[in-house]
Amino acid sequence: MANHTTACAKWTASFTLRYLLLAERWEILRGAMQGSGVKRRERHAPFAGSLLCAILLCACGWPALAAEVMPPTPRQYFNDYSGVVSPAVVAQLNQTLEQFERDTSSQILVAVFPKMESDSSIEDYTVRVAQAWKVGQKGKDNGAVLFVFIQDRKMFLQVGYGLEGPLPDALAKQIIENEIKPRFKNGDYDGGLSAGVAAILAATKGEYKGTGSTADDGGAGQGTSASVLKSLVIGLFILFIIISMFRRRSSAFLGGWLLGSGGFSSGGGGGGFSGGGGFSGGGGSFGGGGAGGSW
Amino acid sequence: MKKLGIGCAVLGVLGLIALIVVAVAGGSYNRLVRLSQGVDKQWAQVQNVYQRRADLVPNLVATVSGAANFEKSTLTEITAARASVGQVKVDPNSAPADPAKLAEFDHAQSQLSSALSRLLVVVERYPELKANANFQTLQAQLEGTENRISVERGRFNEAVQAYNTAIKSFPAALYAGMFGFRERPYFTATPGAETPPKVQFDFGKASPAPPAEKQ
Repeated sequence: MANHTTACAKWTASFTLRYLLLAERWEILRGAMQGSGVKRRERHAPFAGSLLCAILLCACGWPALAAEVMPPTPRQYFNDYSGVVSPAVVAQLNQTLEQFERDTSSQILVAVFPKMESDSSIEDYTVRVAQAWKVGQKGKDNGAVLFVFIQDRKMFLQVGYGLEGPLPDALAKQIIENEIKPRFKNGDYDGGLSAGVAAILAATKGEYKGTGSTADDGGAGQGTSASVLKSLVIGLFILFIIISMFRRRSSAFLGGWLLGSGGFSSGGGGGGFSGGGGFSGGGGSFGGGGAGGSW
Repeated sequence: MKKLGIGCAVLGVLGLIALIVVAVAGGSYNRLVRLSQGVDKQWAQVQNVYQRRADLVPNLVATVSGAANFEKSTLTEITAARASVGQVKVDPNSAPADPAKLAEFDHAQSQLSSALSRLLVVVERYPELKANANFQTLQAQLEGTENRISVERGRFNEAVQAYNTAIKSFPAALYAGMFGFRERPYFTATPGAETPPKVQFDFGKASPAPPAEKQ
């Protein structure tokens, strides 16, 4: 029974997340609620319906999940959300980690948060965050994320399935205990993170071969092919409408409706993620490998 | 001539409807197959991580028993639990359809879980063992494995949930039973099972109480 509730809550969480954590979806919500006319509402009816469902589910699931915040996928490799690392080190590690993906295809991320915003244990929370960020390449699962929570004085290195070989739990533990922890204890976040990243890179260097590009570079290519497809679909809709205009007036309404939803979905899905030199998740998967520690 | 035309049209429409029905049914059948295989695949993952833990036990026992006058009862308990885990025969390639079988598997594994977490508590009283590099490695591996177990169990339950929902929804509900798609059992979690066993630093008590978390 308890299990069922957790499963339910988990499902609700992912559902709620999908709909509510994306800023774009907020736009839809606003659009659907303040829709300027009956016609507009008709067009968005199916989306308004699913949104209503999301809101209802959200209302049911919210109390249980009140404390959990799922951070959005970062745009950089090294992310200091709490401002404890000097900008020079941030820039340098960012560059190192990006080059590492070009050289080896493995995606290593660092995320320094002020506080862990979840009631779950750190290992449970961070594996879900790492999984949601899709760190590592699809099929290789060669991602790793070092999470640091400054106020909690806790950290966890999550290791993707594909890096469990070169970076086993015991080694992850050693890196945390020997490289990072002593420096963190002295308040030396720059040194601890630099040494930690260096040790992680040294361990995982030889495991995979890189392609010279990052998932973010590749993502730009996918973006163009997706937009070609999108315009093709929209073109077909327009053709369909023109044909139906000539044939019967009643089916023109259907065409208009379809066009409405077609244009709508293209607006929702076409997130411009192709900024040069950032991080993009490659689709890797995590199984809870790695180790944690506190200082 | 005109009648033949109408007949053809009716036949055509009926044919189209039949085609649509077949396509929908086929699509939903394929979906059930995919979901069912997803459950089996996830079950294999669950087996993997439990096996990984079972493989750690002999090493752990050997390392710990090397420590000066380590209490034997804890080790005996672990060895016994490890043996009973090996005796539960489950098909590694397909998830159990019988809830009793899954419960039996789960029970044996939870015995090993609690025996291992008791060991970690007892070890707190042996500083030289805790400082042993070999033991530290094993402890990190054991903690990592417990994390993996909780992750894979959670994903198994998610896969089962997706599959069970699919076989109970229309139109699959109409024929799922005929093709042998039966409801699969979940892991029933005891409260707190999501978190792996923790080492409790509790020297105040006379005897180390077993941790509240049980798998």
